[in-house]
Amino acid sequence: MLTKSRLVWVGLFALLALFPLVVTTPTWTSIIMFALLYMAITTSWNMFSGYSGYVALGAACFFGTGAYTVALLAKHWNVPASGDLFWLIPLGGILAMIVALPIGLIALRVRRHTFVVITIAIFFVFQLSAINASFTGGTAGLQLPFIPWSFQDFNLPFYYLAFAMVVVATLLSAWVRQTRFGLQLMAIRDDEDRALGLGVKVWAVKLSGFVMSAFVIGCAGGLYAIYQGQIYPQFVFNPLFDISVALMAFLGGFGTLAGPLLGAFVLETMQLWLTENYSSGSLYLIIFGALFLIVIIFMPQGVVVYVKDRVTKREDRERSLLAQNEVQIAGGSQ
Amino acid sequence: MSFTNLVHAVIDGILTGSVYALMATGLTLIFGVMDIINVAQGVFVILGSYLSYALSVHFGIDPFVGLLITVPTMFLVGIVVERAFIARLKGPEKTAMSILVTYAVSLVIEGVLNMVFTTNPVQINNASYINSSVHLFGMWLPYIYIFGFLLAGGFLGSIYFMLYRTRFGASVRASLADQTAAALVGIDVKKVSTICFGIGIAVTAAGGMIYGATNAFNASSSYDLISRLLTIIVLGGMGSLAGALVAGISMIILEDIVAVAWSPVWSNITFFILLVIVLSFRPQGLFGKQSARVA
Amino acid sequence: MLKSFYSGSLELLASRIDRLPRPSLWLGHRRIATLGGAEVQGNPQGKLLGEIMNRKGKLFRLASVATLGASSLIAVSAAGSSSALAAGTPIKIGISLSLSGDFSADGIAFQQGYQLWAKDINASGGLLGHPVSLDIVSDASDPTQVTANYQKLISQDKVALTFGPYSSLLSLPAAQTVSRYGYALVEGAGGAPSVFAAKLKNLFDVSLPVANALQPFAKWIASLPKSQRPKTASYVTSNDPFTQPQIPVAQKIMKKGGIKTVYSSVFPAETTDYTPIADKVAQANAQVVVLGSVDVPTVAAFMKAFAQMHYNPKVFIASAGPDQGTQFTSAVTVKAANGMLVPSSWYGASANPLSKTMVAHFIALHGGTASQISADVAEAYSVGETIAAAVKATGGFDNAKIIKYLHSGVTIKTVQGNVKFNKLGENFSMTAYTFQWQGSNFVQVNPVKDPNSVKIVYPKPSW
Repeated sequence: MLTKSRLVWVGLFALLALFPLVVTTPTWTSIIMFALLYMAITTSWNMFSGYSGYVALGAACFFGTGAYTVALLAKHWNVPASGDLFWLIPLGGILAMIVALPIGLIALRVRRHTFVVITIAIFFVFQLSAINASFTGGTAGLQLPFIPWSFQDFNLPFYYLAFAMVVVATLLSAWVRQTRFGLQLMAIRDDEDRALGLGVKVWAVKLSGFVMSAFVIGCAGGLYAIYQGQIYPQFVFNPLFDISVALMAFLGGFGTLAGPLLGAFVLETMQLWLTENYSSGSLYLIIFGALFLIVIIFMPQGVVVYVKDRVTKREDRERSLLAQNEVQIAGGSQ
Repeated sequence: MSFTNLVHAVIDGILTGSVYALMATGLTLIFGVMDIINVAQGVFVILGSYLSYALSVHFGIDPFVGLLITVPTMFLVGIVVERAFIARLKGPEKTAMSILVTYAVSLVIEGVLNMVFTTNPVQINNASYINSSVHLFGMWLPYIYIFGFLLAGGFLGSIYFMLYRTRFGASVRASLADQTAAALVGIDVKKVSTICFGIGIAVTAAGGMIYGATNAFNASSSYDLISRLLTIIVLGGMGSLAGALVAGISMIILEDIVAVAWSPVWSNITFFILLVIVLSFRPQGLFGKQSARVA
Repeated sequence: MLKSFYSGSLELLASRIDRLPRPSLWLGHRRIATLGGAEVQGNPQGKLLGEIMNRKGKLFRLASVATLGASSLIAVSAAGSSSALAAGTPIKIGISLSLSGDFSADGIAFQQGYQLWAKDINASGGLLGHPVSLDIVSDASDPTQVTANYQKLISQDKVALTFGPYSSLLSLPAAQTVSRYGYALVEGAGGAPSVFAAKLKNLFDVSLPVANALQPFAKWIASLPKSQRPKTASYVTSNDPFTQPQIPVAQKIMKKGGIKTVYSSVFPAETTDYTPIADKVAQANAQVVVLGSVDVPTVAAFMKAFAQMHYNPKVFIASAGPDQGTQFTSAVTVKAANGMLVPSSWYGASANPLSKTMVAHFIALHGGTASQISADVAEAYSVGETIAAAVKATGGFDNAKIIKYLHSGVTIKTVQGNVKFNKLGENFSMTAYTFQWQGSNFVQVNPVKDPNSVKIVYPKPSW
């Protein structure tokens, strides 16, 4: 219960909450809104993949399911083009959880490396189904009601909803860490067979973690759909999304609490900013990749862990120096 | 759907599948020996395609002759990448990290390719046999597919020869079976890893040349490629060379049959559905090792 | 549009006054006042507002805000209608283009078209005396990026006008984004029916709506004398919003002409290996092939597969690809391109006088021949011409007026032909033509009665 780190958390969140009131340019509020969205997604993803070690590269399945749910419901229930659309978001999250069940049942039967690839395959099944099935609108995608808010206020509700998602995901992730459930997940990561031997219901734990992580990601998909106004299958079921989420978590610190937040914030902001300002497109790919390589080589456990290590090392060194001084003084005074 | 269609689909599948099998073999070899999932394999294939393309366009070199240059080049590229980035990966998260590292490498290569060659789709066109076909079994078979099949067969054959007839190959097989034991026996696992990575990338030069001759491509074609390659090696069993071969060919055959028998719209999906089905019953893939501990 | 803007900002103003402890007040992008006094120079409203802030009383605040709002409404609208720009200051036009990613080849051709237009218009004095400067950003063919780009262009770069991106996929998010700011979006490459389903008032497509693109071709073939008319046809298309609507229109006309459909299928847009699909088409052995393709690689793959199977359809038309000039011929070779048909509303050798001038300028700038110029260039150029006409007619850069003008049923002449928008922003005044590659020349062949059409090469020469 370190009050110092708690204060830091609260302070950072407060900063994020106040941001759009200070910086009102829509460009920046939308960039940070997307950053928040990815922060929520990555934290939620990390809650399963980070803690259990099962790297799931199919998060886009949940995102896309949430997006399509909201779009289809908006169409069939004739939801008016206003804030009412936001009520559909939790439904998107719930449907993502429902969808996560069969995916988990199939995918979690295999071991970790195969798991990665099978999630990729399942993801492609989703993407190709969305493209080819008729009720999803095919490649023409689906449209949502166009909300006629003026540009000044448009981003704000989305921003705060995304912020709420980040808070929910972080609290959930933090809570899981402290419960027995979370410990069981981490036990699975360390040594699954031994965990099984020790009586952990590995199967049930993995499945629950997987399904839980789908909720926020599905909600994020729903929010994205309303914000964009229309969705296309290849963009809400986007393989790059899967990789980005994993990248963000690893960059920040796989399996930590703050890691995904930091990684998502940095990477998403950087990516949006780079693409906007270095229009040649390919240049940002190179910068992105190179930066990432550098981080991986020098901070392979992610930034958060690296920083923590350095801080701890420095503190240890200081403490030992102090102790040495005390000993000397004590010795000297004798 | 007539019988001829079906036969043609199967033959097409064998011919094209062999090329995919070759590229997948490289991928599975890398995984088997090093526990590395090289998601940059797709981009390396495209790099190989571009190299062959550049040689054919700027120097007029025939694509097959050009392989004499591109294959060693890609081998060296593989060795450099391995030394620079992959060799540093250690620890329990090595495999997961390798996905990210190789992905970062693929981003950089993709960006460079885009800058050098632009994003316009190109195709290797400069040989007469690329666009002509031979009449066999009552149907027209494109020469390039037949040559591709022979090339893939040749490369796979040499890899097998290397594995089973040379001492180095024995070291590789030992590392494939159990890295720790191999190291204990005195095999320089690091050297074996580096060379295997190089081989894994060198075969992409060959695969890339055939791919570039049969498809219009640009740097973003790599994404579709890598998703297929990963699916193939998992289906075959990660680390199993026979698995990569069988899975590669059978998956492409199946895809072609579905396209002909049912609808092209769903043929892509069969690829992935097949994987999901097989893995539900046999999580280690067709030829994979059943793992007691973490795979 | 303006009404909602002002009422929105009034509400915002009121809520801000109540909530913030020490705010700066914003109206739109302008800082009106800071609490503690009137620090803003030359702003009479600022002083007033500073006083308001210092007194408590919600009602008083709201009333003051209302008065303030009303007076600023007058002030700002007065400022908005006249060009508050000094003569000679450049006018910035914001554009998001696919300079990388899936649509990059077309995006770059579009960029060429926009830049050529800017160069030409500046050479003739610019827009109302203001030189044009293009602010182009890349969207990597990604709709999310498109939204962010146009937001940045309008709110940060403060562009006066916006031009459209490339492709139906991206035009819709672009139009929605800019409509929140009250801007018009004139574009040349978003013609799929799904784009107009949203019924946006600010969206204008200068190019021909896609559904009817194959009509002249279908009519020509169905009206050939019985002895020459083909008997069978295969229809194969990508499941893309651009191509799929075109096929049924053509199929219906050709069916009426007695041409039997022996094969019809849809393939996924992300197919990479077309051989099995092309194989089936070849096996059906129809005399006509109607291919719904979106780009050069698709057509090239089919052409190659047909060549390898020694399948020579007498007529082969593709909905897109062969109209990309040199990009097409370099991918398939000139020999193979011979006889290929494609619908389009423009080609390099067009007799349209405006087009001729543009082509001459293009060749002077980039070299090559007229046949090598991609249709995208003309589409982009027409967008520029349309906006130029609207600016000239409304005497300024007020987007609301431009939107009204473009919806007023006026006909504008461009390099592609006539531009006249219906309620939804579609342009049906353009004629659909069919073009054919004959040797290394790209020529117009349909409508047959059009004076500029040459004789069509029929049947298509063998590969």
